[in-house]
Parts: sequence; structure tokens; C-alpha cells
Amino acid sequence: MDEVFKALADPTRRELLDELFERDGQSLGALAARFPLSRFGVMKHLRVLEDAGLVITRRSGREKLHYLNPVPIRLVHDRWVGKYAEPWASALSELKKEIEEEER
Amino acid sequence: MSEQAYAVVGGRGTMTVFEIYVKTSPERLWEAITDPQMRKRYSFGVETASEWTQGSSYSSSVPGVIEIASGENLEVDPPRRLVQSFNALWSEEVQREGTSRVTWEIEPVGGSCRLRVTHDQLSESADSELFGGWPMILSGLKTLLETGEDLDTPGSLRYADA
Repeated sequence: MDEVFKALADPTRRELLDELFERDGQSLGALAARFPLSRFGVMKHLRVLEDAGLVITRRSGREKLHYLNPVPIRLVHDRWVGKYAEPWASALSELKKEIEEEER
Repeated sequence: MSEQAYAVVGGRGTMTVFEIYVKTSPERLWEAITDPQMRKRYSFGVETASEWTQGSSYSSSVPGVIEIASGENLEVDPPRRLVQSFNALWSEEVQREGTSRVTWEIEPVGGSCRLRVTHDQLSESADSELFGGWPMILSGLKTLLETGEDLDTPGSLRYADA
């Protein structure tokens, strides 16, 4: 889990994840074209994300495509956030129900 | 060049990949995927019934409550690889998405296993509801195999008492 937090601690790496969330399965070239960094710089960041399990690569012909793997973030969520979410979520759905009933 | 690559890659919908490391053996992991009672414990309470032979069908449901998915076991190679066609059934919207494909791959790494679930052959505009449940399912699978307990975060046991 240390590697996940280390990987997420950098704004460029979070932006790379945003890019993959928008459009999954991108090549290094496509990603590097949208960052003010060298291809090598983007590659290094992708490597850190890959080591943390947040990015998975797949070969497609001559290209290596990058996919977002949200599972490690889910594990962080389940360890800490999940325990608090239930009362909060049920309070919100109660609120929704009340408002919708008032509107009727 | 890069713009062209961008276009070739396509939209978000066509393929998603999920990966998790679980401290267990390939055999135990295979059992957790194919045993209806184990499967139920980390799949929102949904049972999956099948003979698990090549060409056999499978059905995921909460009997009498809701049908979740069905399809065919296209490749069955225990304890390493399982390829299934996937028809989502839980709502009219997802039923309209048609047939996609789910591939389970188990790879031993040290004393653990890497489990990779690839959900592909999705349409360009596929609803993220189709594959959005995988992170929670895989997190629950890891918890079950490593601790013997159920993951009880909100939603993870949705149909467990049904």
C-alpha cells in the first residue's frame, strides 16, 4: 500500500490516471503528447504507477497500451472509508426520500 | 502519429482490466471463483452456477430475487484461465448492451497470485455499470481468501440475506 500512496503523491501521476479514466487503453505516445514533459519523463511516471498496480499494460501489435486499474484504490477505500460510508449514505438516501415526498 | 494512435485506441468502453494480488494458491483462487458458495460471499451475495466445462453455460443470480448475468464458458483451464461470454441481466438498460467477454487469469507470483480480470468486447458507449462492480468483487475475494471473513463495506453484501 506504500507504493500506492507514493504513486498518488505526485500531481502529474494523478493527471495521468485522470487521462486513463477519461480514455482507457492509451499508448505512451498518446499520453506524452498531452503533457509538457519529455516522452522519457512520462514513461518514468507511468512506470511508478505500474509498480503500484494502478496502471496495467497490454501489448497491442507494436504498441503498449496503458489501462487504469482502480482495484488498489478500492482496497484503500475498503480499509478506511467504507466503514464510515454506510450511515452517511443511508442518511443521504433518507434525505432524498423526504425531499421527493415533499415535492409530491 | 500520436493523434493517430489516440484514435486507434478508441473510447473508454471497449476494454477494462482489473488486477489484484492475493496471498493464496492458484488452486484456492480457482475454487473461490468456481465454487457457488464461496463465490456468493464476495459477489454481493449473488450465486454463480455452472458445470465449469468448456462450452457449458453459467448463470449468476439471487434465486427468486434477481437475475444478474449469464453466458458460456468459452475456455476452462483450471487453475489458470477462464474465459466467459457475459450477458448482463440486472436491468433493461444493461440487457441492451448485448454480449461482452470476461477473462480470468491466475498467475503465481512468489507465495501469492496475481488475478487479472479483463472485461472486453464492450461497446464504445458501454455503461460503466457493466464493469464497475469488479473492484468491489475483487477486494471482497482478497478479504475472503486472506482472512476467511466477508468484506462488509456498504454494498458488498447487498443480496447476502435475500
